[in-house]
Amino acid sequence: MTGDAKTLKAGPKSLGSELIIPAIAFFFTLYYFYTIMDAPWTAQVAAFIVGSILILLVVSFVIKTLKSLSNGEGVLGFENLVKPRFLLRKRAILLVLTIAFIIAVPALGFTITTFVFIATAMLVLSDFEKKRFIIFLAITLSVGGYLLFIVAFETRFPEGPFEIFVKGFF
Amino acid sequence: MRYLLRDFSDMGDYDFSFYVEMFLRTFDLWWVILPAIFLGLIVGAIPGFSAANTIIILLPLTLAMDPEVGLTFMVALYASSRMGAGIPAILVNIPGTAGAAATPLDGYPMTQQGRGQQALAMSFTASIAGGLLTTIIALFALPWLSQIAFYLHSVEMIVIMFFGISLIATIAARDTLKGLIAGFFGLMIGFIGTDVVYETPRGTFGFLELYDKIPLIPALVGLFAVSEAFTIIENRSIVSEHAKLTMAKPSWAQTFEGIRIAASRWWHIIWNSIIGLVIGVVPGAGAAIASFVAYQQSKTFSKTPELYGTGHIEGLIAPESANNGVTSGTLVPLLVIGIPGGATAAIMLVVLQFHGVTVGPDLFLSSPELAFGPFTAMAVTYALMILTVLPLARYMSNITVVSTVYMAPIIIAFTLVGSFVPRAYMFDMSLALVFGVIGYVARKTGYHVAAILIGVILGPLMETYFLRAMKMSEGDIMVLFSSRIGNILWVLLLLSMALPYLINYRRKRQNKTEPSGTKS
Repeated sequence: MTGDAKTLKAGPKSLGSELIIPAIAFFFTLYYFYTIMDAPWTAQVAAFIVGSILILLVVSFVIKTLKSLSNGEGVLGFENLVKPRFLLRKRAILLVLTIAFIIAVPALGFTITTFVFIATAMLVLSDFEKKRFIIFLAITLSVGGYLLFIVAFETRFPEGPFEIFVKGFF
Repeated sequence: MRYLLRDFSDMGDYDFSFYVEMFLRTFDLWWVILPAIFLGLIVGAIPGFSAANTIIILLPLTLAMDPEVGLTFMVALYASSRMGAGIPAILVNIPGTAGAAATPLDGYPMTQQGRGQQALAMSFTASIAGGLLTTIIALFALPWLSQIAFYLHSVEMIVIMFFGISLIATIAARDTLKGLIAGFFGLMIGFIGTDVVYETPRGTFGFLELYDKIPLIPALVGLFAVSEAFTIIENRSIVSEHAKLTMAKPSWAQTFEGIRIAASRWWHIIWNSIIGLVIGVVPGAGAAIASFVAYQQSKTFSKTPELYGTGHIEGLIAPESANNGVTSGTLVPLLVIGIPGGATAAIMLVVLQFHGVTVGPDLFLSSPELAFGPFTAMAVTYALMILTVLPLARYMSNITVVSTVYMAPIIIAFTLVGSFVPRAYMFDMSLALVFGVIGYVARKTGYHVAAILIGVILGPLMETYFLRAMKMSEGDIMVLFSSRIGNILWVLLLLSMALPYLINYRRKRQNKTEPSGTKS
């Protein structure tokens, strides 16, 4: 990391990014209305009341944003989401690793996947500094997690080669 | 109603010595209570590991115990898990359960200022005092408290749900419109799944895993933990460099100062824990609603509402005393009328039924040790936590100096797997990531994630009550204004929405008329 984000200068307000949540809410509400079209009235009423209020709120927010844009109070950009720019690459890698973690955990099990994910993510975020310490920490956490959650609490965490191998001893 | 009052007024006539004997009897079970306290703290602090889940896992153990010992163990675990949920909420901005969702609003800013130890001490003091007080009140006011649930029917509950949404506007005070959009979006997400009457799937995108509503833990994990992990990497540490210097010299003085500050707000603790108790008595309402209601009213009547969200002491004390007040409240309908007030109370009911115990007014006459036992167990648990949990504040706060390089991957890995635990669906981990992305965008663009979460919590409840009201009125929407208590609540709802604006307007006018030098 090259510095703290708080020390960076704030740019013009990115009003485009502020429209993402209202846009998701709006389209989800329309989709929800579509799915209840054939339902009885009594089953529709709650969603219609809440959904209609939500659409009204979204329309009000869009009007407010357009006014702000015309007054020059911001730009229709998405800078809010990606700043600080120097972290963009690391954040993208962390997201890819998280998706890989979710995909791999049913096959590899909790312990191995947790070790690989924690070690890789920490190495990327630390610019590959303190490698030995990170590997040691990842082993401790994944094995510690295995002992606490799977052995002690008997939680139904995903099991893989490691869990099956260790189970063979007991 | 007279019929009901007559029924519950005859729950036995016990004198003071009986209660003393009950307390002494419960103290003898310290060997069950102490392990339950520490187990509860751990499971409460980990998202996905609620007290209910843990009690289910330990059911073979509790079923094998004597019913009184088993109940004491469950109650102690339940009470301490409520307190445990506040620890990560304060230290890393991730509530352990939905009941602690209002805690980070002011607890986390305190940590960022290097006052984590003090904040934990305040939270523990408020939780212990609030929990202890409400348990004692519940113990002596059982017949009267049990009446509350009978006054609230579907219509009244719908208005209470709208109360919950009105809180969102207050919580996201910087932009009320954004707060309302987030809250109503959360409500729509909460409507996902099949409806309880017709079982029609709605808004499920074709996923079978969503037919049974949106699971709360993946929503909580995604909105709070995953999005937080992607945000905290912007700084090397959660706390500022200046705060780190303060934290470099931890001392008992900071813990004592935290206790002193919380104790000086004794009236605030009493008032908010009673709010929690009353809301806890209403089956299904729960700690999440209680803590947000407490936060809202605390902010509304505060002399410094503009400081809420920046590390305000009362903003931390209010939700923590309220959610611990709920704990004893949920036991009231369980023991008096046999309706569990929450998931944990429902599991306790299962254990009691397994042992052939029938809950209800008769239990107070036939087995007073079982009827009053859970309350005395809760009171003893809170009393023992003064000695066991409060001193831990000094050591727990050290976690915040850990670099975010290490913290972010740990949070993602353990909370994602935690989201898998309640239902054992791999789908729930993906769902947590989707909520994580929504939470990240929300955080970055000024939409409060707590507002979305409270919507997700209230959505299914609101819809259930809507459906019931509509069925009973044969589809007449005017049923919403057909009850006297409901109409009073509608008026109070409008007042609660208007009050912050009126108070703010009055303050601004006062500030304009007063010379700047005289302002306190």
